Amino acid sequence: MLIDLTENPACTECGLCREVCPVFQIQRQEEYSPRGRAILGSAGIQTLVFYQCTLCRTCRVVCPVGHDPGGEIIRAGLISAGIETEANQMMIANIRQYGNPFGPLAEGELPKTLTCC
Amino acid sequence: MESLESLFQPGQVSTRAETKAAYSRDASRIQGPCQGVVWPETVDDVVRLAQWAAETGIDLVPRGAGTGLCGGATPQNSIVVDSSCLRKIGARDVQSKMVVVDAGIPLDQFNRTLRPDGLFFPVIPGSHRSATIGGMIATNAAGLHAVRYGRMSDWVEEVVVVDGKGEVQRLSAGDRKVFAGREGITGMVLQATLRLTEIPKSRSLTLFSFEHLADMLEQVKQLKTNSALSALEYLNPHAAALVGWTARHCVLAEYHSAEGEIRDPAEMANLWGARESLSARLTQAGFPISEDPQFPPETLEDNLDWLTVQNIPVFGHLGVGILHPRFLREDARIAELYYRVSASGGQISGEHGMGLKKRQWASEALKAEVLALKRQFDPQHIFNRGKLC
Repeated sequence: MLIDLTENPACTECGLCREVCPVFQIQRQEEYSPRGRAILGSAGIQTLVFYQCTLCRTCRVVCPVGHDPGGEIIRAGLISAGIETEANQMMIANIRQYGNPFGPLAEGELPKTLTCC
Repeated sequence: MESLESLFQPGQVSTRAETKAAYSRDASRIQGPCQGVVWPETVDDVVRLAQWAAETGIDLVPRGAGTGLCGGATPQNSIVVDSSCLRKIGARDVQSKMVVVDAGIPLDQFNRTLRPDGLFFPVIPGSHRSATIGGMIATNAAGLHAVRYGRMSDWVEEVVVVDGKGEVQRLSAGDRKVFAGREGITGMVLQATLRLTEIPKSRSLTLFSFEHLADMLEQVKQLKTNSALSALEYLNPHAAALVGWTARHCVLAEYHSAEGEIRDPAEMANLWGARESLSARLTQAGFPISEDPQFPPETLEDNLDWLTVQNIPVFGHLGVGILHPRFLREDARIAELYYRVSASGGQISGEHGMGLKKRQWASEALKAEVLALKRQFDPQHIFNRGKLC
């Protein structure tokens, strides 16, 4: 019943990070909280939920043990595994093809779509 | 699960793998299978849910912030009912110092809204940043200022509970035995009328340290006669060393006056920060199991001595006799600790609750009480089945 604590050694799962997380404030679901994402990570679940982290690291500021969620590393792992949002794929393709994240733009044209991960 | 989803708006129910994994455990890290999660927005939502549970036989696990340390919010093939969308705060009556709040409101957020009126809610568990009012009622939380303000049941005037029969119960302070510290086994607390108190005009701290336990307890006896005392927190030498304090018996005393040695707000915040980070730091240091016995004052010396001789890190709310000794996983001395609690006439659970973790220590009297409450409020064992004992 008690998990093997080496499963998630960096996060103590105390949950004190929930309320400072801007994403949790909107979603109000544990999987979007820093603790929730740490649990998903420890369970080896690769999911688009990790893209919801804003990488602001406010959770690290309040974490009693200073745990860093490492969002960039997790996303790099997801991209390597081919798990990406459509917006992310489009953004990267646009950067590669057009040198900007928006796609083809005429001289002086403002982007109509703002793509983000 | 389709029948469950049909009862609610889209987005109020999730059976996704991510959701079930994230809700499979609380801060106790005791894990169990979760069938899905519901986020009720009204009392009626929970009534419908209780009726659905009665028809299907699937039990419901009420959950606040999931900061509990005994697996009280751990599902066992259950549906978790998360109160995080129940966050309304009613108009406060400044004159009578009362307010009606939803169960899912986190304590710190609640207290921030009260500040402009010079009021606050004074039951402050270590998890105050996230802990919800509903969870605090369910565990009858005590916390850092219990020596002055007591525990949750002292501050709740009325609660609205949906019981296991799907009925809405409005229970007053006189019925506190039905809901306070019952860990959701009688139903889910959805709303509470709370008493508030005035924010103290000044605060100060003194950090005492002692070579000998007997000297410390003598000082504690004197401190407890001080009417300005508002916290009396203890760290044994082992725990003190882990937060960088002198490895002696340390007592952090807070006063609602300027008589303490430390009055600078930043310095006070630092000391409280060190104290409040202890739990997580002890977990990281290899002592993940947190117990919460409550000892009668006359037995503290003997039991604190035993804990220190055993090299067990301990901190706690010394003013009310609640200690938090920390153990390695499956430490055989936990059984010895509870034998000592029983022999001392203390309580197995001072403030964390029994959850799944301490069921084996439940007394026959508690079992009989729970059975009687279940018969009255939850005969089909819909709410938090198998918890507490």
